[in-house]
Amino acid sequence: MFLKKLKEFFTGKKEDSTKPSPYELALKQIQSGQTDIMPSDILSFSEPLRSAVNAMVRLGRFSLTEFTEKLTFTRAEAKIIADALVKRKLFEVASYSNEQETFYTAHLSGSTRPLKKPDLDLWKKID
Amino acid sequence: MSKIISVHSFRGGTGKSNTTANIAALLAMDGARVGVVDTDIASPGIHVLFNLDESEMVHSLNDYLWGKCTIEEAAHDVTGHVGGEIKGQIFLIPSSIKPGEIARILREGYDVGLLNDGFRDVVEKMKLDYLLIDTHPGLNEETLLSIAISNALIIILRPDSQDYQGTAVTVDVAKKLDVPKMVMLVNKTPTTFDFDDVRTRVEQTYDATVGAVLPHSDEMMVLASSGIFSIKFPDHPVTKGLKSLVDQVK
Repeated sequence: MFLKKLKEFFTGKKEDSTKPSPYELALKQIQSGQTDIMPSDILSFSEPLRSAVNAMVRLGRFSLTEFTEKLTFTRAEAKIIADALVKRKLFEVASYSNEQETFYTAHLSGSTRPLKKPDLDLWKKID
Repeated sequence: MSKIISVHSFRGGTGKSNTTANIAALLAMDGARVGVVDTDIASPGIHVLFNLDESEMVHSLNDYLWGKCTIEEAAHDVTGHVGGEIKGQIFLIPSSIKPGEIARILREGYDVGLLNDGFRDVVEKMKLDYLLIDTHPGLNEETLLSIAISNALIIILRPDSQDYQGTAVTVDVAKKLDVPKMVMLVNKTPTTFDFDDVRTRVEQTYDATVGAVLPHSDEMMVLASSGIFSIKFPDHPVTKGLKSLVDQVK
């Protein structure tokens, strides 16, 4: 909120309060689904969430610090985003996490579904 | 650091498996430990190029996905099958070619996430320098997963209007998934075409690097997947193009 006001002060432009911030949008996108996150879900994420998730999936194992750096949100916001991704089983908190640092592993989709039924919303996500 | 390289095309018949097998051989000739996974579960075929007979397949990727074995147990050392002077090693994780097992996986599906874990496990446990993923053509969750975890992606297309359109979708998806290295391979190009012109047009169309433009080859047709082309024809223009491609993705 403070940063938003500061930005408004320097730019002289008032930001649209109804427009969600990148953080709010990211959280909304993650929380809008219930099932495990599939690879095609990542395609429909907004930036910077998509790039950050892409990078963590490729790393496989990573820390909250690394995720925060990629997201460019505050550490507290990144933690909330990571927690939401844990709920959707994309991230898992590693057992070697400690008080100073939370470590995660990324795991793309554990959902089982028949290959014979094509994912009908796949194309929608790509478009 | 180990690298995961996916070989993909939007349409079938572009030469994915042949390209994957040749890249594996060229990397292994240089001394690398290479794993190859056939994720084309619905229509497997790369085992033929490595001369791996059905009777030699103790376990397959299907067994791993059904929890019958570990991913390393499904890996077959095919180094001795390819001929030539291979300093490194090649391990193939084939998909089952038993009709009943293909039908079962089509009917029941499988845990896509297990592929994710399996790729990482096999790289780590078998100390691989490279893991090559031979994908199913088109886009589905499995191929998206392969692209999402790859360090490099080779997209194959032929100079054909149908290929051009579909490939644009694949390139768009790969860009959205931030693949660190994406290289296009134009395969089966008629020798009457101007190769430089083909390269320029493809690069301009997709705003992506063309790793090689390979000519249509009668020798490749005659070989008919009974071996690894780059080993049998080390000085052929196709082999030279493949070597250049390998240099760009390794």
